[in-house]
Amino acid sequence: MHIPDNYLSPQTCAVMGAAMVPVWVISVKKIKKELEPAKLPMLGIGAAFSFLGMMFNIPLPGGTTGHAVGGTMIAVALGPYAACISISIALLVQAFLFGDGGILSFGANCFNMAFVLPFVGYAVYRLVERALSGRGEFRSRSLRAAFARGGKMAGAYIARQAHSEGLTQDGKISGPAAGGQAHSGRKHTISTIAAGIGSYVGINAAALCAAIEFGIQPMLFRDSAGNAMYCPYPLSVSVPAMLIGHLTVFGAAEVVFTVLVLSFLEKAQPELFAAGADARLLRAKGYTQKVVVRKQPCPGDGVNVTVKPARTSKKLIAFFVCLIAAVPLGLLAEGTAWGEWGADEIAQTGAGYTPSGMLHGFSFSALIPDYSMAGIPSWIGYIFSAAIGAAVLIIAFKLLSLAVPARKSSAAE
Amino acid sequence: MIMQIMKMISRLTEPEKRRQAENRVNPAFRLCVAILTILLCALSKNAVFTGSVIVVLLLRVAFLAPREIANVLGKTVLPVLFSALILLPAALLGQPGTLLTVTMKVFESVLLLALLNHSVSWKDMSEAMGEMHFPQILIMTLDTMIRFLVILGRFMGRVLEAVGLRKVGKDDWKHAGTGGILGVTYLKAQQMEVQTEEAMACRCFEGTYRSRRKRKFGRRDALYLLLAPVILTWFVYTQALM
Repeated sequence: MHIPDNYLSPQTCAVMGAAMVPVWVISVKKIKKELEPAKLPMLGIGAAFSFLGMMFNIPLPGGTTGHAVGGTMIAVALGPYAACISISIALLVQAFLFGDGGILSFGANCFNMAFVLPFVGYAVYRLVERALSGRGEFRSRSLRAAFARGGKMAGAYIARQAHSEGLTQDGKISGPAAGGQAHSGRKHTISTIAAGIGSYVGINAAALCAAIEFGIQPMLFRDSAGNAMYCPYPLSVSVPAMLIGHLTVFGAAEVVFTVLVLSFLEKAQPELFAAGADARLLRAKGYTQKVVVRKQPCPGDGVNVTVKPARTSKKLIAFFVCLIAAVPLGLLAEGTAWGEWGADEIAQTGAGYTPSGMLHGFSFSALIPDYSMAGIPSWIGYIFSAAIGAAVLIIAFKLLSLAVPARKSSAAE
Repeated sequence: MIMQIMKMISRLTEPEKRRQAENRVNPAFRLCVAILTILLCALSKNAVFTGSVIVVLLLRVAFLAPREIANVLGKTVLPVLFSALILLPAALLGQPGTLLTVTMKVFESVLLLALLNHSVSWKDMSEAMGEMHFPQILIMTLDTMIRFLVILGRFMGRVLEAVGLRKVGKDDWKHAGTGGILGVTYLKAQQMEVQTEEAMACRCFEGTYRSRRKRKFGRRDALYLLLAPVILTWFVYTQALM
């Protein structure tokens, strides 16, 4: 789904980039408003998961490949706005460092994978969760996870406080810790199913958008000989080509990736799960959602809570290392993903010619092109690339969290 | 200037608790593996070995707390920029590979030492150097230097603060006083040198560092020591690649 340079016209790229600017601005504002600075590093962890997930290429009969993205997974864990920024940064690293996805088409790639995928996936997740749980008692995975674990976690603390404040009257959050435990099994299943369905719909929506962007190119841009200047395949080819893979294998891979990673993260790093919507709701009642909380008397009304920076759990580190070690599995898939061929390959894919826009188009030399390094076996290069990408993303978001000033708790305000 | 001195002192006297919590592996083994890695990086003829060490170190850094990351990476910025600047003519004369290789080696070495410094306290480090039979005079010189940097730094900070409080407005006295402050500090250093000598005599310390506590050889130590043959094997493999 990573659209390379010269598959889309510069005009299309400009429009898609312009469309993403307000999305990024709103997402940053929402994150500043809803997400505590101490939780910003979690965006990096989400981005790193997404980055690693995209390295596991899955083959399809016919020589094409695809991968999971993990956008819905981050949206469920941290909210769709956080997912948008996380995946945008992951795509930026992929484009500039590894040459995966174009520089000009960065806006289009972000539109598909960082905007459409997490927002559609999250919306479907919420709808399905609400529909299956009947009254929409549990607003997010965070509080459900907290309820399931009683008083051991920050979420449970916040949930108990919220419950004691009568937030259950809204029909938004309900159930004390003890009651939650009784229902946690069913709720967990519902939430998992909802996340799975959301991720499936999300990745297919993103694939459809990419297919439309590909397919409109021959309609809009042709040279004097009548040949397409950019992507040569019309909608009648691009839509089925993209959707067949995503409706079957890649969609299933996204579901498996989302469910597995969410289930793991819930156990390994439960403080990840505290969505922005809940923060807003709780803040309105005088609580501040933090990573680790300690109750302190506050001069004003309500409770003030202090932040301790989140430590990455050992389980999570082990999981990352295992994922990085396993990425060479992605090399088993031979062939190139549909719509990601090089200019020298496209004529043999059935187009019969190389579009002029590709022959004389924009080119950029990435530092580690195609996740490989000259002179070393491809599997080692792939592992290096995975480790570098994951480390760079996590470090970048952690350093970013230092630059964001700590917000005053609403209770103190 | 006072702030700069205070900043330096605070870096030298970072809380021991954090370090001790992380320091479960014998510091001598950590130092051994670090020296071996730096040595092999210096010997490596291609960028693969150095690159792989950097990748592992970056992953280690990625899972530190944000402030610790800034602290560790901050220490690498100046040496890397300096080495890149020194080697810039090589790149301009058509040898960009040299610039990349040497800069990578500098980054790797400084990052490794910064991580070691982050997780092992100076006290443990001097003990580890003693266990590894470093010359005692070297350890004592380093140890005394670090201690005196802190003590004299605090002293200078107090003197500067006093000067700052007593002076109002702009005049040349401040510049003229710099020599005086340095002189006072020198006299204080001499005085403390005598005191240190007397204190050493009182405590029967003749400059030989012995480990007071007996460290048990644990599972973590064994695993850490296993790193040495793994690193060596990887080095041999990567050198054969090109």
